[in-house]
Amino acid sequence: MRVSFAWLSEFIKTGLSVEKAAHLLTMCGLEVEALEAAQNDVIMEVNVTPNRADCLSILGVVRELSVLIGAPIVLPPAEITVKEVKTGPAEIKIEIRNEDLCRRYSGRVIRNVSIGPSPEWMARRLEDYGIRSINNIVDITNYVLIELGHPLHAFDLNTLKGGRIVVDTADNIYRHIKTLDGVERKLHESALVIADAEGPVALAGIMGGASTEVEESTTDIFLEAAWFEPVNIRKTAKALGLSSEAAYRFERGADMEIIPYALDRASYLMQELAGGRPQEAVDVFPWKKAMPRSIDVGAGRVSKLLGTDIQKEEIVRILERLGFAPRWNDSVITVFPPSYRQDVEGEADIVEEVARIYGYDKIPTTLPASRLSIQDAPTRRNFVKAARQSIRKSGYSEAVNFSFMNPQVLDQLFLPVNDLRRSAVSLINPLKQEESMLRTTLLPALMENLKHNQQRDIRNIMLAETSKVFIEGKEGELPGEHLMLSGISMLNKTYSFWRNGKDEFYTAKGAVEALLDEFRVCDRTFFGPCKEPFLHPGKSADVIVSGRRCGFVGILSPTVREKAEIKGKEEITVFELNLDIIFECLPQTPVYHPVPRFPAVERDIALVLDEAVSATEVISRIKDYPSKLIESAAVFDLYKGEGIPAGKKSMAFNVRYRAQDRTLTEEEVEQVHEGLIKDLLIHTGGSLR
Amino acid sequence: MGGQKNSFLRESFLNELGPVVSVPELEELRVRYLGKKGLLTAELKNLGGLPPDQRRTAGAALNETKEFIEHALGQRKQELKDLELSRKLASEGIDVTLPGSYVPPGRVHPVTQTLEEITDVFVSMGFSVEEGPEVELDYYNFEALNIPKEHPAREMQDTFYVSKDVVLRTHTSPVQVRVMQRKSPPLKFIAPGKVYRCDADISHTPMFHQIEGLMVGEDITFSNLKSVLETFLHRIFSPDVPVRFRPSYFPFTEPSAEVDIGCIFCKGTGCRTCKGSGWIEILGAGMVNPHVFEMVGYDPKQYSGFAFGMGIERITMLKFSIDDIRLFFENDIRFLGQF
Ligand SMILES: [Zn+2]
Repeated sequence: MRVSFAWLSEFIKTGLSVEKAAHLLTMCGLEVEALEAAQNDVIMEVNVTPNRADCLSILGVVRELSVLIGAPIVLPPAEITVKEVKTGPAEIKIEIRNEDLCRRYSGRVIRNVSIGPSPEWMARRLEDYGIRSINNIVDITNYVLIELGHPLHAFDLNTLKGGRIVVDTADNIYRHIKTLDGVERKLHESALVIADAEGPVALAGIMGGASTEVEESTTDIFLEAAWFEPVNIRKTAKALGLSSEAAYRFERGADMEIIPYALDRASYLMQELAGGRPQEAVDVFPWKKAMPRSIDVGAGRVSKLLGTDIQKEEIVRILERLGFAPRWNDSVITVFPPSYRQDVEGEADIVEEVARIYGYDKIPTTLPASRLSIQDAPTRRNFVKAARQSIRKSGYSEAVNFSFMNPQVLDQLFLPVNDLRRSAVSLINPLKQEESMLRTTLLPALMENLKHNQQRDIRNIMLAETSKVFIEGKEGELPGEHLMLSGISMLNKTYSFWRNGKDEFYTAKGAVEALLDEFRVCDRTFFGPCKEPFLHPGKSADVIVSGRRCGFVGILSPTVREKAEIKGKEEITVFELNLDIIFECLPQTPVYHPVPRFPAVERDIALVLDEAVSATEVISRIKDYPSKLIESAAVFDLYKGEGIPAGKKSMAFNVRYRAQDRTLTEEEVEQVHEGLIKDLLIHTGGSLR
Repeated sequence: MGGQKNSFLRESFLNELGPVVSVPELEELRVRYLGKKGLLTAELKNLGGLPPDQRRTAGAALNETKEFIEHALGQRKQELKDLELSRKLASEGIDVTLPGSYVPPGRVHPVTQTLEEITDVFVSMGFSVEEGPEVELDYYNFEALNIPKEHPAREMQDTFYVSKDVVLRTHTSPVQVRVMQRKSPPLKFIAPGKVYRCDADISHTPMFHQIEGLMVGEDITFSNLKSVLETFLHRIFSPDVPVRFRPSYFPFTEPSAEVDIGCIFCKGTGCRTCKGSGWIEILGAGMVNPHVFEMVGYDPKQYSGFAFGMGIERITMLKFSIDDIRLFFENDIRFLGQF
């Protein structure tokens, strides 16, 4: 809220510079965000938190300053001097039909007003607040709103039918009204309205009606000062998409007890500035008996919660200044918060009030003397951290994308209708259509990142993201959240000094293998071809860990690339892993096996095989060969081309033989090895090279 | 006569040794003198024809010469080997300024780095790390935190809705409630994660990261809150950065505080980043509101606690002097590569 320092200084002699006043206010909870120079004035931009409706006025800020510096408040004049003029009804009959939503309704007829422009000083002050000057009567209601924080409304008395005001919800009156802004509005049934004998004349607490608007021809007015229930005002304002200075204050909670003074103050100004003759006020106050409230605070509570000793006298002094009328006995302080402090409800609020006036800076700092408590081991956090580091060491930089997804990407990836990734969570109020769903895969965002970098002439792109995806849950359940690690790479070998001929697929596969190695996950297979419709069918594999599919790795299919409008000819590798599954499959603590004491003997085998025979098939055949002497087998060469028939390839394997209890003889090894070769030739259909 | 013979042999050997430049040549020379039919071998064979007294002296002299020759040959052989090796090595030289072969590591996102750093500071103070869902019930995100429907504080946080009762969490605070429902005091944990606000402009993104913290026990005070957060800020920024606490409002804490640090750019004299105030708002905190304790079934008469929350992007921007929050989500490799 904007607060004019000159205006404020009419209420209180602070003796402070505006900067000092701003500092004091900031340190007691009314943060002054900026100071803005105005004509002979400085405007303080005050950030009023939603609980402090009482500070949405000059008077409210003055009250805070007064508590802080102890200077008295001088209220602006509100004396009504002109006596009644007996021409026509001096009174409007008021009927509150919903006392819960309207707890006080006051009003007064003011006769003989001459409508005209406001004096320049008033118009300028309103202008400083961004309020356009309309005429003296309307301006005065706005002026008092800013000054005292209480919204007022002026009706043209002669347009009010039947000399009466009824306050009730729309369903009991009439569901339509044309508001001051000229808009015809349909009201929901619980909207609170002000009606005359014939129908609605105002939307209570939000906006007046067009039919009773004060105009140039107006001579008599009815001035309203009332209290409306915050939640109702808020609901109606929200439903109608309507906001006003009045609604803003009512929905945060207005002060019931300032009503007579606010009414008098505005009447006084109308008397002085518009020649009006205020009549006797009418005041209907069904909630009068509900005030004041009292709150008890345990004597030691303040010091105990703050962690510092504040003397009883100091606490009482602060509460007195706040107008809380403290009463003290041995163990309890009873306070009676003023009506404008509706936010003060319990003991904790009183502690806060004392603390903020005492000064947060005066409370010492003491490290908690907490008892040792046993924490869960940070296993999962360490796992995610290590996974992220492993992928980083494989060359991938970490990307972070919004969790939103464009529904169209599911089609771009050719995901079948029954794919789980189509069960995406939709937002009711997305910022834009392209962000209207939550991600079910991290891949599309990484593809966008790739394009972004490519468009900026970056030739080597490796990006990976660790984030959650969201899969729609069952009816009445929250969505499933799964932590995924996904990567994308596109490398331009032309500009690399160390070119190698290896297929790009192995860059991504290597990163996944390194990650699994990091956690000693040995039970893993890369099973190809993988069924993902967006991958190259010949260059893709499912990643299986302990028999569970935890993701895929592969080359992005040319069709998908084209759809995504990714340029360039280098292959794009992608992978996506479900870290939750891998975490569940982490191996147990290893059990020590004795290190071999006897030497190993190595033999190589070069086979010419059909292209379709995979290295894994040959190796598992070797491992399955019934001999205890075979320790391990690995592929070490792959060759196609000259000397090898079309459709065939040459692969070389290294086999290690070892016995646990003796040094093997050449003959022993030779015997097993020959048997192994025969077995391999039969089962792979290959020939020796 | 023996002496003359020996000095002649030595002299002629040395003359021949002089020009030898290769191991094979050296071998030839050895054979010429020490081989079966070598010059020195022949002399040794001739010894047999001498009378015994002469034979002994002549033999000794010849053996001395033999040793001399063997030693010289050995020495030259080593010299030649050394020379050959250094020639070979010299010819194998490479350009050591060419790049090494390795996988250049990628970089961890600066927001993740800050998140880890902050987490580590709190873990070092004995806090554990908890998680909660990002798609959250309205109840946990608002109501259990003392923010009923139609509460004006809801306006502080523009919310994405999935359904009437389900939202994208607008802060990490719901984790407080979930953990309190599950565990009994004392509690001491932080909850890092992504949060969402229906808001996008030059200084706001619809998703960002927060860390929430909660400590609950029998004698937890506002003074403890100040101490823990001050210690934290000194560790993250610098031990001498000024820290100030000023009253504020959050529905789930009471008393509430905003915590500022002295502007790290202008050292408090006022600049653009701190809008001239010399202070930068860094986190929100407060003593847990008794209503929140009641909601999870803790007795507010027995327990007290403090909670705090902070935005990670903002702290990351301050730490690395980054001036635009949107840079974090563009994932430009030239940006990511700097951290
Ligand atoms: Zn600064």
